[in-house]
Amino acid sequence: MQVSCNHRDRIFEDGTLAEWAALEAHAATCPLCAEEVRAWKSLSVAAGELRDYSDSPSFWPRIERALAEEAARNPRRAERKGWFSFLPSLSPAWPAALAGALVLMLTLSAARIYLRRPVNGRGTGDQSLLKSKALKEVESAETVYQRSIDKLAAEARPQLESPATPLLANYHEKLFVLDSAIAELRAQAGMNPSNAQLRYQLLAMYQEKQHALEEVLETKRQ
Amino acid sequence: MGTMGLALPWKARISSMPRERGTRVEPSEHFAGGPSPAVGDARSEDAALAAACRSGDLRAYDRLYTLHGARMKNLARNVLGNPSDAEDAVQETFLKVQRSIASFRGHSSFVTWTYRILINTCYDARRSRLRKKEVANDDSEETPRPEPRAPGAHPSLRMALERALAKLTEHQRDVFLLYEVEGFRHAEIAGMLEMTETASKNTLFQAKKNLRLMLEPPRGSARETR
Repeated sequence: MQVSCNHRDRIFEDGTLAEWAALEAHAATCPLCAEEVRAWKSLSVAAGELRDYSDSPSFWPRIERALAEEAARNPRRAERKGWFSFLPSLSPAWPAALAGALVLMLTLSAARIYLRRPVNGRGTGDQSLLKSKALKEVESAETVYQRSIDKLAAEARPQLESPATPLLANYHEKLFVLDSAIAELRAQAGMNPSNAQLRYQLLAMYQEKQHALEEVLETKRQ
Repeated sequence: MGTMGLALPWKARISSMPRERGTRVEPSEHFAGGPSPAVGDARSEDAALAAACRSGDLRAYDRLYTLHGARMKNLARNVLGNPSDAEDAVQETFLKVQRSIASFRGHSSFVTWTYRILINTCYDARRSRLRKKEVANDDSEETPRPEPRAPGAHPSLRMALERALAKLTEHQRDVFLLYEVEGFRHAEIAGMLEMTETASKNTLFQAKKNLRLMLEPPRGSARETR
């Protein structure tokens, strides 16, 4: 392989082993390239001056203590995260599948409740179906709760829209998944407003969204 | 572990110990041959470490520290300029890993992800220090700087390099530190700094060109000083 002075910078930037060997051979007869190769290599040697891997015996115990304190401080958070830890690790195709599975599960639950309902109006009635007065109260509380979460979401939006860290990007994606699931559940609840099971599912999703938003805002405060 | 999908090729996986390279001018990315058995080991070790950290096992964090603690601290010290801030940044990184391990998606290796958190933590610390400096309008305490160069004295190579690095752009400095000092490959750096491999190579090239200009004075002026 033949190289000339013109190839030098390209080889410095992205040369193969063979190209480097050819450059070295060329440098043996070209003082300018010899000087450039020497200077280039000397920077790598000098970089070694910035390498100091000396151990500090008290450092790990300090980190370990901080980790243990953090774990003790937030056992509930760790537990909650454990439950939902699968959410952010899903690929982008999964949120739709997850939402679909939730909808299917809710539809089957609703169908089961419907089929088991008292046919002649006797009995105490299905406890999973909300009566109209209770339903109004639930809907009103839900609206208030949802507004509060919307306020949290508005506060966290700037951080989520341009996430500065991978952690925030993960929260962004997690909230996207939760919003998809909430939208599906709300659509189901609209069709079947008396279903208490649906309301519980929705409440759980709202709570998870609230916690995720709180954690985003917590990172902002840090 | 089916969800531990990998966006980076396995050559981007990080070895636990910095490589011994001496003068590292030959790009390691051009070595021929496919993934070695060691790559598979690294992958399984990385996944096992992530899973153990996810389960809250403090021994897993101990292992992470044993494998990468020294390199993390060295990197943080070179970015932040002093050992005390570096230790704070590394400790904060471990806490962030613990807090957010549940949201680790496995799109890069766990260790790449950890270093990315470390680098972001260092950026945050640097920004916070700058803000403090602006408020106080006095950087004498908050920003430790290399000792002033005594007239006529020869600064050590380390100090000269630190001084020159401080004049590079943030990206050039980070890529130089990660590649030349810590021994990461461009594929690994690309994962940490969220850039392409080509951009990493180009940034390193620019960084070294600039360093060379700063560290090797023109021959004429060198003769004048004698």
